[in-house]
Amino acid sequence: MATTTAAVTLTSDLLSGSLSVTGTSTLMKAGTTADGLDQMRMGINEVPTGTSFDLLDATTAGIDKANKVYIANLSTDTSYYVIIIIDDKTVGRLYGGDWMFIPWNMDDATHDLEVTSYVGTNKIQWVKFHEGETLGTSAD
Amino acid sequence: MAITAAITLTSGANDLVTDALALSTSASLTQAGNTTAIANTSGLARKTTSAAAAGNIQAVTLFRGEDATADGANKVYIKNMSTIAAEYYTVHIDGEELGRLYAGDWAFFPWRAHSGTGSTFTVTIAGSWVAGDTWEFDGVTATATNTTESDFAAIIDATNYPNWTTDHAAGETTVTFTNRRAGGLTQSVPVTADGTKSSSSGTAAITLAAIGTKAESDITVRPSVHTTMTMEYMLFHE
Repeated sequence: MATTTAAVTLTSDLLSGSLSVTGTSTLMKAGTTADGLDQMRMGINEVPTGTSFDLLDATTAGIDKANKVYIANLSTDTSYYVIIIIDDKTVGRLYGGDWMFIPWNMDDATHDLEVTSYVGTNKIQWVKFHEGETLGTSAD
Repeated sequence: MAITAAITLTSGANDLVTDALALSTSASLTQAGNTTAIANTSGLARKTTSAAAAGNIQAVTLFRGEDATADGANKVYIKNMSTIAAEYYTVHIDGEELGRLYAGDWAFFPWRAHSGTGSTFTVTIAGSWVAGDTWEFDGVTATATNTTESDFAAIIDATNYPNWTTDHAAGETTVTFTNRRAGGLTQSVPVTADGTKSSSSGTAAITLAAIGTKAESDITVRPSVHTTMTMEYMLFHE
């Protein structure tokens, strides 16, 4: 079984008492603890401003699965940001230095994960852990 | 004040890929477009969900659009505490599915927090009111202390309503109500029906000033089973 571990730590002195939240999960296929996610895509892209781009295309093989997506904005200027959109619904703004980790259910073919860059060209790193995707047929 | 969010993604050599995978990132959570630390949090919360029957499973609202600054650098953390593999929470933003959090899974993501607007209306105190007359709205009763209309308007304004905020200018006879939640009324009839007065000759006419618009970023989660499940969640916001 492929074993991939995702761990998060949230710490803060914002409150009167210290905050320390940790979460660790082994990335499993949907509905099982015996079979881990065994496929992945990974990349780094420089995203220019002015256009909304499909970072990851939804595929029918990804419907109702336990796919996970990690995105980090590698921009060092904290005023730079990308807006994350799933199927025309804005999730939020990922500023320079920020990261996110979400489950991604491609519940229909238009459930693409999109990014739009603002202020300047943002450099983002991403990883998609999944349990299957529909590969496009070669056109030539 | 500082908030740090760190993630590590690891997989051993010849496991997911032939070489070991080790990604780690640490971010200081700051306000939109600057390096000032985010200063607000909901605190870590835990919620248990259940339904009487599978057919009655309802989504639970974790955060409403008006809970944070619109288009801010807000961040949301959600974890499914279940240990039963098949149990999952489906996470939605304004009804759009983000994905499924299976047992033990967690998510951390930026949140737009589009707030929408609350509906508003005005009530105008006129006619003959006397001390002891009442006007009831939203389950709360305001009682006049004299015959001066503007004084009663001030009393109505000073009363706390669970679902509405109020605004009133000294000496005026009108009070403006604004719904604490985005969206709401689509016509004036429900409001008119909700205001109840005891005076036989005083009036408290209600007019609808503006219909609210719904928030477009409420975060809801829907459990996959009607039996008990538990999650933890937290919001950092501007």
